[in-house]
Amino acid sequence: MSEPKRLHPITAVLNAIKTLKELIIPFFAFVVFGSKGGGIFSIIGGIVVLVLILVAGIFSWLRYTYRIEEGELRIEYGLFVRKKRYIPFERIQSLDLSEGIFHRPFGLVKVKVETAGASGTIDGAEATLTAISKAEAAMIQEVLQKVKTLGVEDIEKLDEIQEPKEQILYKISPRELLILASTSGGVGVVISAVIAFITQFDELIPYKTVFHELEEFVASGVLFVSLIVFIGFLLAWIISVIWMMIKYTDFTLKRVENDLIITRGLLEKRQITVPLGRIQGIRISENILRQPFGYSSIYIESAGGSAANAESASVNILPLIKKARISRLIEDHIDGYDLDIQTTPAPKRALKRYIFRGWLVVIPIAIILIFFFKLWGALSLLLLPLSAFWSYLEYKDAGWSQQGNQLTLSYRTFVKHTVFMQKHKIQTLALKESFFQRKENLASIEATLMSGLGGAGGRVTDLEEKDVELMYKWFSRESEKAQS
Amino acid sequence: MLLQPQKRISERALTVWRITATIYSFFTLLLCGGIIALTIIFDWPIWISVIAVLILLIESYFFIYLFPRIKWKRWRYEVREQELELQQGIFIVKRTLVPMIRVQHVDTRQGPILRKYDLATVTVSTAATIHEIPALEVEEAEEMRIYISKLARVADEDV
Repeated sequence: MSEPKRLHPITAVLNAIKTLKELIIPFFAFVVFGSKGGGIFSIIGGIVVLVLILVAGIFSWLRYTYRIEEGELRIEYGLFVRKKRYIPFERIQSLDLSEGIFHRPFGLVKVKVETAGASGTIDGAEATLTAISKAEAAMIQEVLQKVKTLGVEDIEKLDEIQEPKEQILYKISPRELLILASTSGGVGVVISAVIAFITQFDELIPYKTVFHELEEFVASGVLFVSLIVFIGFLLAWIISVIWMMIKYTDFTLKRVENDLIITRGLLEKRQITVPLGRIQGIRISENILRQPFGYSSIYIESAGGSAANAESASVNILPLIKKARISRLIEDHIDGYDLDIQTTPAPKRALKRYIFRGWLVVIPIAIILIFFFKLWGALSLLLLPLSAFWSYLEYKDAGWSQQGNQLTLSYRTFVKHTVFMQKHKIQTLALKESFFQRKENLASIEATLMSGLGGAGGRVTDLEEKDVELMYKWFSRESEKAQS
Repeated sequence: MLLQPQKRISERALTVWRITATIYSFFTLLLCGGIIALTIIFDWPIWISVIAVLILLIESYFFIYLFPRIKWKRWRYEVREQELELQQGIFIVKRTLVPMIRVQHVDTRQGPILRKYDLATVTVSTAATIHEIPALEVEEAEEMRIYISKLARVADEDV
């Protein structure tokens, strides 16, 4: 087991590609600014840089070896400075597997080794094995499993242990995948990406002429323009649907021993592991398109993960599920959470504060628009009822519940969230009350959980003051003193 | 009704905050002087300088006099065996409970002005949040740091 192994040779190419990706901005700058002084030099320069990067990729592949020895994963690497990194298996939280398009023809996977506090590294993982065969990855996983169940000393008694129990909890159906993709709200992402992309090329596209023509064009037909805009949105939506479908193809949630394992993806296959012991809280999110149909998605806040790797801190374990099915699916596997809880809503008098807060943002915008566009600006007054409607939704979705050890907060930002927390996982609890809230006997509550390296949690505004105080006392370990 | 935490921060905090605010308003003063100079040079209408001076006065009143006073009056804390309770805020009163078992580390910090007045700031960090108690007497801050870190060590539970 102890002879050092290399990664698959494709790593050399992947290394080169990665370096190229990092160099793309300086490279563009070079092309744009360098082209003025003699084209031939910049071309030769470009080729030299490319070759160098490729050679560096090959050498860093040659230098990278890993082996399993004495219950540790031992990695040695480094082009000029030799570096050694030994990671004890007990410290490994999870192995995240993914397959990119370069991996698949060769049956390879990329393995990210996640440990409890890998904050120092850039990509968030303690170590990354860029490309190894699936059999190798399975072997490493097996060793990890054994160390976890038997401890390091017994690692040599490998063969005695049976296959880990595996139980599939959820597999996305084609219909659900379609619903998930079409209601994901990824449109915004696509549109902003397109805008960002277009603004990158403002030197190439003569915007001024385009806009000038556009102006005449606009004058010629408002209807036509709105049709174009509509088609643009439709296209963006279709792209986002396809993108989401690729990302979530074959989404499967499994329970293996004490881990939840998620696999998904068509082009890039990903596998994410959530150790059950690291769960900090559960969040149910319902966006406005899914809420009327009773669909929601479920996230787990996990103490693992890192700053750069938000996906392993707040893990989407069930992307689309009927709300009624959630508790049946999850309760056996995640202890101590009651997900079928009725929350106490905010009192009626809070509604006007919700609406007022919404208007506080909208009214200045409307005033500015009216000031500048006169009559057309008055259209912005339509924002008032719209904002009031949204505030009403926010008000309706605010709620809380405390039962035994569990605190449940529900609130709406853009999406309705319901966060389930256990007392001993809550990091801090805060009560907030402004002068105006005090007059109405209202208060806000804010609970913070650990999620990755940062915080997550819930915040509900304008609940009944005595309810908030109740939660506060419940969280206080010395509430008698707090009251005395 | 919940009672407030009992302990207040040092009264000298008020002086420190006022000094800091005065330093900041010095920049506004410069800006204000610049505007008045420009008004004179370019013959702008007089009301521009009047507004500038008014803004300066109002800012000084609020940030040097009023806000530090409210802030100090509001600031309360209490270190108990199992938790730390903080109360702060000028317009919005915020009360926070930090259980000792969640505390990861405690630091004390001292800027030049705080040092001159023999004060220090205590920072308490959990896995997800950071809390600050500003302007405690140095000995008290030191004591608190030792006390909290001792209590935090006792209660070592999984995150």
